[in-house]
Amino acid sequence: MTQPVPASPMFWRFNTEVHRLVGIKCQDCGHISYPRTKICHECGSQNLKEYKLPHKGTIHTFCVNWAPPPQFEPPILPVIVDLEGGGRYGGIMTECGSPDEIKIGIKVEMVFRRMLTDRGLNVYGYKFRLAEEG
Amino acid sequence: MKGKVAVIGVGMIKFGELFDKSLENMIQEAYLNCLKNVQKGIDPKEIKAAWFGQWSGGFIGQGAQGGQSLASMIGNLDLSCSRIENACPTGGDTFRNACLGVASGVFDVVLALGAEKMRDKPSAESLGGAGGGGGAETGNHPSWMMGQGGPAIQAMHATRQMHQLGYTMEDFARVAVKNHHNGSLCPYAHYQFDITVERVLNSPVICWPLHLFDCCPQTDGAAAAIVCRADLAKKYTDKPVYVWGSHTGLDHNQLWDRSSFVSQPSVVRAAKGAFEMAGIKPQDVDFAELHDCFTNTELMDIEDVGFARSGEAAKKLKDGEYDMHGKLPINPSGGLKAHGHPIAATGLGQIFEVVTQLREEADKRQVKLKNGIGLQQNVGGPAFGAAVVNILSRSR
Repeated sequence: MTQPVPASPMFWRFNTEVHRLVGIKCQDCGHISYPRTKICHECGSQNLKEYKLPHKGTIHTFCVNWAPPPQFEPPILPVIVDLEGGGRYGGIMTECGSPDEIKIGIKVEMVFRRMLTDRGLNVYGYKFRLAEEG
Repeated sequence: MKGKVAVIGVGMIKFGELFDKSLENMIQEAYLNCLKNVQKGIDPKEIKAAWFGQWSGGFIGQGAQGGQSLASMIGNLDLSCSRIENACPTGGDTFRNACLGVASGVFDVVLALGAEKMRDKPSAESLGGAGGGGGAETGNHPSWMMGQGGPAIQAMHATRQMHQLGYTMEDFARVAVKNHHNGSLCPYAHYQFDITVERVLNSPVICWPLHLFDCCPQTDGAAAAIVCRADLAKKYTDKPVYVWGSHTGLDHNQLWDRSSFVSQPSVVRAAKGAFEMAGIKPQDVDFAELHDCFTNTELMDIEDVGFARSGEAAKKLKDGEYDMHGKLPINPSGGLKAHGHPIAATGLGQIFEVVTQLREEADKRQVKLKNGIGLQQNVGGPAFGAAVVNILSRSR
């Protein structure tokens, strides 16, 4: 039986901002970054405001990974998504019948899913799926 | 830097699946080849400092390597020596640090050496360890990196290059065909055989739109260079090669912070810095060894270094401009496609090629020199945010 890890440092770092999608928007250069940071990754400014990432966006680019890490059933579909209102986020697609459904520019939305099990602990995060119409 | 630093010797071993050689064996062979390459000879004790490029030590169970891993192996315990690890540009950056050691005025003669064991682990593990399949582990947030190692990151660039620049899988395949041909003429290459566009497109899909033959292999290897004060160079060789520019360029550590997926800003920054230092422009360069870990990456490299405008590289490649006897030979050695990518050895292997070409000692793969200037470039790491460019010349 897998031994659960009594204290995983990673979970300490999964602060609410990660699961609640809290990032920053730089008040000087406009760069949106996630998760929260004290210094803008783009321009170094400390003049930042908290910014909650929207769940919706369009696919900026993607690939069809037939050689994923061992825990995954190939293929997996990594995507980079242009979020509504600016900024980008990356992840993998879920609930997708065929890679042929994925194209640059189509609408997707984030859904909260179990990502994997790490030494007995479930690890949660966001995946993307095709957005429902309307 | 310009005018202060010269390369007086280079050495490498044949890259490949070197199951019979340990890290130590490879270090010693590359070092001895490098000493032999110094035309008028050198007393090894004249080398007072070294920079040791190394990534894989922990990965193959030998722990994180230190300066002593090199100093002890070459029997020079009086060396001042640091280990360098800077992702895929480790080799090129190890060379840069050695050059800075001389340019600073602290040392007269120094060594840069990189060695890497990639094949001691099975392919999947090796690729995962190098971030290649990467991100299944939970050291980072799982939805940030999951399944987004090297092939996936570059494949996402390739998809965007096709969408935005009109590039095709045939365009990518032509890079592999060119580099395999060049590699077939290089005795140090891992792969020394020709391939065709059809063979690339019929090979298994690794990460669509990239096929198996769009990807460089996992390879063992080692390479080295001895660098000295430019005013002392003629004591060691009649054909010194001088370092004109050397710069690292960086970009974001997270893929979604990146501004572009048809360009690598890290490479743009490294090239800008190196060209400024050298006081020359891209059109002054005779040939270049670029980081073709994937075929689409070479097309971006060509554009980001400034050899072509965005969207132009594929056509120029098709027209033969980047062939060994074209207007601007790119990867006359066969590049990473033919040599493989033993991370810390890769950049120094490219330096070996640039120096060998500038001395006109490249035999069947010799390119035509006009200005006597060659360029070396690496890119990689998380989000491909680390790059290095070195510019070398026959004249001081």
